[in-house]
Amino acid sequence: MEDKFDCIVIGGGVAGLAAAMTLAKNNMKFLLIERGEFAGAKNVSGGILWGSDLAKLVPDYWEEEDAGWERFINHRRLTFMDDQSTFSLDFKSKHFNETPYTGVVVLRAKFDNWLAGKVQEAIDASDFAMDSFIATDIKVDEVILENDKAVGIKTGEDEFFADSVIIAEGVNNLLTRQVGLQDKYVPADHMLTGIKEVIRFDQKVLEDRFQLDGLSGMTNEFVGWATDGVEGGGFLYTNKDTISIGLVVGIKDLREKKKSPHDLLNHFKTHPTVADAIKGGEIVEYSAHVVSSGDSRVMPKELYKDGILIVGEAANLLMNAGKAIQGMDFAMRSGILAAETIVKAKEKGDYSSATLKEYRKVMDESYIMKDINNFQDAVHLLHTDVMQNKVPNLVCDFGRQFFTIKNEPTPRSKDMIKGAIKRHSSVWELAKLGFKAGKSL
Amino acid sequence: MSSILTYVAIADGKIKRSSLEVLSHCKKQAEANGLTVEAVVIDANASSFVDGIKAYGASKVYVIEDQIFQNHMNTPLLKALIKVVDAANPQVFAFASTEGTKDILGALAANQDAAVLADVSSFEVSSGSVHAKRPVMAAKVVANTEASGDLILVSVRSGSYDLIESPSEAEVVNINFSLNESDLKATLREIISATGDTIDLNEAEAIVAAGRGVKDEEGKALISELAGILNAGIGASRALTESGVYDPSLQIGQTGKVVSPQLYIAVGISGAIQHVAGMANSKVIVAINKDADAPIFEVADYGIVGDLYKILPPFIDELKKIKS
Amino acid sequence: MVPDVYAPIQIKSGELIMDADRMVLNAYDASAVEEALVLKEKHGGEVEVVCIGPAKASETIRKALAMGADKGVHILTSGDEGYDSGSFAKVLAAFFKDKEYDVISLGKQSQDTDSGLTGSMISELLNLPYATNAVGLEAEGDILVVKRQGDTGQEMIGLPTPCAVTCSNDMNDPRIPNLKGIMASKRKPVETVEISNLDVDASSLSATSKVIGYEEKPARQAGKKYEGEADEIARQVAQLLDTEANVI
Repeated sequence: MEDKFDCIVIGGGVAGLAAAMTLAKNNMKFLLIERGEFAGAKNVSGGILWGSDLAKLVPDYWEEEDAGWERFINHRRLTFMDDQSTFSLDFKSKHFNETPYTGVVVLRAKFDNWLAGKVQEAIDASDFAMDSFIATDIKVDEVILENDKAVGIKTGEDEFFADSVIIAEGVNNLLTRQVGLQDKYVPADHMLTGIKEVIRFDQKVLEDRFQLDGLSGMTNEFVGWATDGVEGGGFLYTNKDTISIGLVVGIKDLREKKKSPHDLLNHFKTHPTVADAIKGGEIVEYSAHVVSSGDSRVMPKELYKDGILIVGEAANLLMNAGKAIQGMDFAMRSGILAAETIVKAKEKGDYSSATLKEYRKVMDESYIMKDINNFQDAVHLLHTDVMQNKVPNLVCDFGRQFFTIKNEPTPRSKDMIKGAIKRHSSVWELAKLGFKAGKSL
Repeated sequence: MSSILTYVAIADGKIKRSSLEVLSHCKKQAEANGLTVEAVVIDANASSFVDGIKAYGASKVYVIEDQIFQNHMNTPLLKALIKVVDAANPQVFAFASTEGTKDILGALAANQDAAVLADVSSFEVSSGSVHAKRPVMAAKVVANTEASGDLILVSVRSGSYDLIESPSEAEVVNINFSLNESDLKATLREIISATGDTIDLNEAEAIVAAGRGVKDEEGKALISELAGILNAGIGASRALTESGVYDPSLQIGQTGKVVSPQLYIAVGISGAIQHVAGMANSKVIVAINKDADAPIFEVADYGIVGDLYKILPPFIDELKKIKS
Repeated sequence: MVPDVYAPIQIKSGELIMDADRMVLNAYDASAVEEALVLKEKHGGEVEVVCIGPAKASETIRKALAMGADKGVHILTSGDEGYDSGSFAKVLAAFFKDKEYDVISLGKQSQDTDSGLTGSMISELLNLPYATNAVGLEAEGDILVVKRQGDTGQEMIGLPTPCAVTCSNDMNDPRIPNLKGIMASKRKPVETVEISNLDVDASSLSATSKVIGYEEKPARQAGKKYEGEADEIARQVAQLLDTEANVI
């Protein structure tokens, strides 16, 4: 038997790297396998990494010059759109400037690659500096099972063995399906496509235009006209000297409405407010990726098995409840928790479900599952026609009336609201919505 | 008095056009700097080319004639060049950038401890130094470079300069040189010429290039017919030379030949960066491709969207009419 | 080791800014390594890779080791010396001066500067028979048979060893290291060499050529697109080439 690893981590995205970092810091002998040429090569996020787990993995990361992240977020905006207008909830606060930051915007190719470098440093400082590896440009074809327990992985002709496997393969979770924890085909109903462009500006121009100070940054999410009737929403985030602008749209709805993501993104960019924001920039990158919607109906049947743990988007750990899209932070936390479970398993000398189910337990206790469960209704609500189309139109209609001062007697706001409701929805519909929202938010 | 020396290459019994382009430019640079412009020809029949060289303004022509130069080999050429540099003592020694030049340029620089600027798209001489522009980073960017020293070697991409005739009286200096193949360590065992009379792509005024769209013998025949009418060289994209449809010496692109003819017709070529890097300096580019979004249309002056099998026959027919 | 030339590039005030902070193994060198490995698989022997560069260059040495090379040598530079091809050639020649080898194989040019000088420079400094732009290599006893791509066709050249050869990337498709190779590479020896320990005069290494600035390549503007009935547009363009472009 060749050298055996304590753990093989499949996938070098945020979840895999977080797991690997934790394993390295705990002096475990492991192998991280990433199929891209380098960590980050195949990953796309909007994207914001929320929370402060990054500080756990890389303490004081904000002090490093030119680290893998772009800007910290201190300005948030949620925007309702119709064809001409935008009505936004805008919040900016100095309290976000304190470290550890609660949100940083990242570009995955740079971020993951940087984080992988940190993992390598942790490996070099560990007891298994010569035995733990990060291998890139290698694709895992299969998890090797013996009596339904993972004993290793197969890539091409070669087999490598380990006491445990952490599947961090991402949203197209083929290995999760291979080991029987997910159905062979996942309905498209609850899957989305993310599509984005990175647009470059002169850094000074960007900072002036979005009123950024130092490394502060802004996030802006959009709902309504942005997706031309297709379920989903838009986003615009400020990076160091570029912006990430894109859409996340439902795959099934795209197909049914016969629209193409590419056309939708171009449509979004023509909205007057958006066009003004991105004027004069140069498109330098174009990318797309499948994304989970966070609907718990598509989560794998279970997150563990004998010798196996599933983390990150492979476990469908993502949530878009309207306020923010949380994916990378879930990935990071789940990776850390999985690795900690493996460390405990090694101490016990047992990697079977009996021990590994501890992962399920800590996940359920963690903010991830609590939020996913609590906000399921909100997720469903967000994807209804009322929220996607009627409310934005209604809100913008109201906004137009409210903010227009004419040389005429001004109607009362409540009349404006009534009129807007009548034009776009109905009191009853809104009451239903309000009731559901009240329960779920 | 210091001089600019130009290497005049011979191929298929003719002076290479690219060498004359360089000579034309060297003459202008020499005049601008108060230097003399000289040339050197090294060939099995070197003396027969002297008149052709004089037509482009060299005031002195060094001649090395020996049987060993029948075919290109790096060691004899290098030794001959060293002798010439000794005799001529130029400030600048300029070459057209061909495979033959690339084979010896670095070695000559090392031997003479000379500064060298390779594969430039333009250069200017001033006292003691040369400024040149070179495409770098897969030809995405232009680098402004500078070299200085007692001897500076420069090689120039073909098509960078126009031919300027300026017949002059020139002194002919024969340099004794003799070398036997048996004196060499390396052995030239065999030469496998590209099949057919292929026009040297670096010299051609017009080139017809075939890409993946040219799928079969019928396509190849159309390419040959078009090239025939225009008296054009035939080139190919990497896809076709790799698959063996055309000989590798016909490959145009970043790793193949970089050409700049007056007319370049890209047939069934998508226009990947690596290919475009090899032909973007052509004066007029025509592209024929059935995909309207093919990147080749971004560099083509005339872009014809259509199936090449349907476009070429009438195209060729119309050209025949024009030519007659 | 070169910057990733396929990553976006910016020019700001004459300076080149690479978006990707990535250095990759030069494609031509990768072909040289691949062919060396093929020869080793056929005839036995050892493949050693030598790289000159700053600390980061060790990643490319690892990649070559993961492909199958036996050992590596890293000649360390700071990256700020402003060395040109001549400087590198002198350093490499000093390194190889007292070494034993059959063939020194290099990529024919580097993807960033595309100068193509270092190979023939080293050969001259070490007085080795050499060939450039190889598209095929074979070993016959102690003769290296090189298939060289010339201006109009190919030449078969026999080089007695020790010799040098520069490789075209048309020669082969470099293998992607598999996991076993990556793991094995960690245990293969890599020797670090300081230039100050080589028998070369530091003052002779100063570059005689340098880049003084970068500019955008003037973009070629797209011309006109002709769509429609094949016969019509074909003849139309043919006529324009004569009357408008004057190239017939």
